[in-house]
Amino acid sequence: MDKWTKDHAGGALMLATGVAVVVAGLGYDVGTLREMGPGYFPVVLGALLALVGVALLASTRRAAPRPEATPQPPAELAHLAGPVLQWRGWLCIVGGVLAFVVLGEHGGLVPASFVSVFVAALGDRGNTWRAAAGLAAVMTVLGVVVFHYGLHLVLPLFAW
Amino acid sequence: MHDSLIQLLYGFGIALQPGNLMWCVFGVLVGNLIGVLPGMGPLSTISLLLPIVAVIAPVPGILMLAGIFYGSQYGGAIGAILLNLPSHPPHAVTCLDGYPLTLQGRGGAALGITMLASFFAASVGIVVMIFLSPLLVRAANSFGPADICAIMLLGLLAGATMSRGSPTKGVAMTLFGLLCGVIGTDAMRGTARYTLGIAELRDGVELGGLTMGLFGIADFLVSVNRTTVSPANARVRMRDMRPTRADLRQSFWPMLRGTGVGTLFGALPGTGPTITTFLAYALERKWTKTPERFGRGALEGVAAPEAASHSKTQVDFIPTMSLGIPGDAVMALILGALIMKGIQPGPQLVSEHPDIFWGLVASFWIGNVLLVILNVPLIGVWVRMLRVPYRILYPSALFFICVGVYSTRNNLFDVAITAAFGVIGAILLMLEFPLSPIVLGFVLGPPLEEKFRQATLLSRGDLSVFVTRPVAAAFVGASALLVLAQVVAWLRRRARA
Repeated sequence: MDKWTKDHAGGALMLATGVAVVVAGLGYDVGTLREMGPGYFPVVLGALLALVGVALLASTRRAAPRPEATPQPPAELAHLAGPVLQWRGWLCIVGGVLAFVVLGEHGGLVPASFVSVFVAALGDRGNTWRAAAGLAAVMTVLGVVVFHYGLHLVLPLFAW
Repeated sequence: MHDSLIQLLYGFGIALQPGNLMWCVFGVLVGNLIGVLPGMGPLSTISLLLPIVAVIAPVPGILMLAGIFYGSQYGGAIGAILLNLPSHPPHAVTCLDGYPLTLQGRGGAALGITMLASFFAASVGIVVMIFLSPLLVRAANSFGPADICAIMLLGLLAGATMSRGSPTKGVAMTLFGLLCGVIGTDAMRGTARYTLGIAELRDGVELGGLTMGLFGIADFLVSVNRTTVSPANARVRMRDMRPTRADLRQSFWPMLRGTGVGTLFGALPGTGPTITTFLAYALERKWTKTPERFGRGALEGVAAPEAASHSKTQVDFIPTMSLGIPGDAVMALILGALIMKGIQPGPQLVSEHPDIFWGLVASFWIGNVLLVILNVPLIGVWVRMLRVPYRILYPSALFFICVGVYSTRNNLFDVAITAAFGVIGAILLMLEFPLSPIVLGFVLGPPLEEKFRQATLLSRGDLSVFVTRPVAAAFVGASALLVLAQVVAWLRRRARA
């Protein structure tokens, strides 16, 4: 993705979010400036967000594509390289967290810990099945000792 | 002034209580440990340990958070100097000269100077905090809702526009954060807002879930398979860290100037730490007679920004603690933790909870001394920590995030929220939106709405209160100037094109 489509996408996303917030907010009681209802504040914020979205879209279209004029990327991203979309990584990381949610409910701390670390670890191309399983085992033992016996986490070890 | 000194002694009494001191040591140590790790800045470190605050008493909890904060800040400097890895944006500028120094085998001296500069700058910041806070509290007692609103407005705007990158995007993220704060039950009428019919959302989004999603999971998502960490070739021994006499002479004035920049900018609400460190660096390069040395390992280029970042950190606590208005995302997080413990920040905090305020002030000094003591023998351990590969680091951190978010409210739904904010954060990062304004907006959202509704209710719907009350008018004016300056800068950029 180059700079253009990125800013366009960002602006469009903000515009859409703002409009959605305003539409939903009008459903609550908006009230008047003198006595604001629950909908007043979010409707104002949503409208502002939509405006900012429009501003982003507009300023992007007008400027000419000169590399030196584009603002630097946020410093958080400075040390990264390679294609942005890592499907395997995304799937495994989000899957790992969701596995913790599902297995925490229907399985307990031990299976939730093991599976979440195992799945998340597989997101990195450098990890083999065996390495991921090893890491998951270590973290599970650590988690049980620290959180269950040490800090008395409410989540039971096993629960079906 | 005499009063302040007595209060300070009282604070030391609080902070030196074994129970409190233990948590302070723990915070500094863990903050340093995690802060060294690639990709873990103060925000992620504090979010990760937020659940512990939920289970311990307020005073040790806050002391621990503050300890984590400066511990991880110092840890970030280690990563920047030894590995060229800015895990925390303000340290990006430290890389410029810190890493070349490491390549020249002078990494130890750079770390030593950093430690010295941090300690000196923090001390100055603490003194400023001791004497300025009571004054501000006295003034703040006469502030009405409209004034508080105006101050928050300036803080939010400054937080949005003064970070690096596009100011428009910063404003968008501030608004997004404010909206995230709206989710849940309306405090005045009890209406459930934007809960999508999910019962768990009626209590609002959990702060820990939001921050761990944005600064933990989102960071894993954008970093996985993409981190390019060069193997650490840095070997630092204890005796390398003692700066020579020439080093000291070279970095003394930069340290002082950096402290000045940091103190000045810390007092302005919302000016992020990143802009402060970059300014301090730029000032040094202007000041020196040999600008060509900068970027090739000039000690001044390490001393000044690190001093600026640490004095700013301390001064930042002034508006956070005495007005309840945080200057940046980290402060917002600390404020959120206070609210979590049922303590309402604001001018009354100093008189109602003197143990928290003065204990915190005293713990800054204790914590900074601890940092110096810890870092000298432990530097070898930190260097080894830097070599932990990412493929092991992130699954382990992910596990701690899951358990941590769960334990705050014993609610698995919050963990799912964390995953959702992780995905949102990663998408926003890919579109080059800054994430820290979201936290600032999220924490300030509920009080801003409350004060705004109070202000307009009191004035019977007349918006002119925001320009007729002197304090409100001053802050609204400053906000307008800030926006104007951004517009002018943008028009100039366009004209030059």
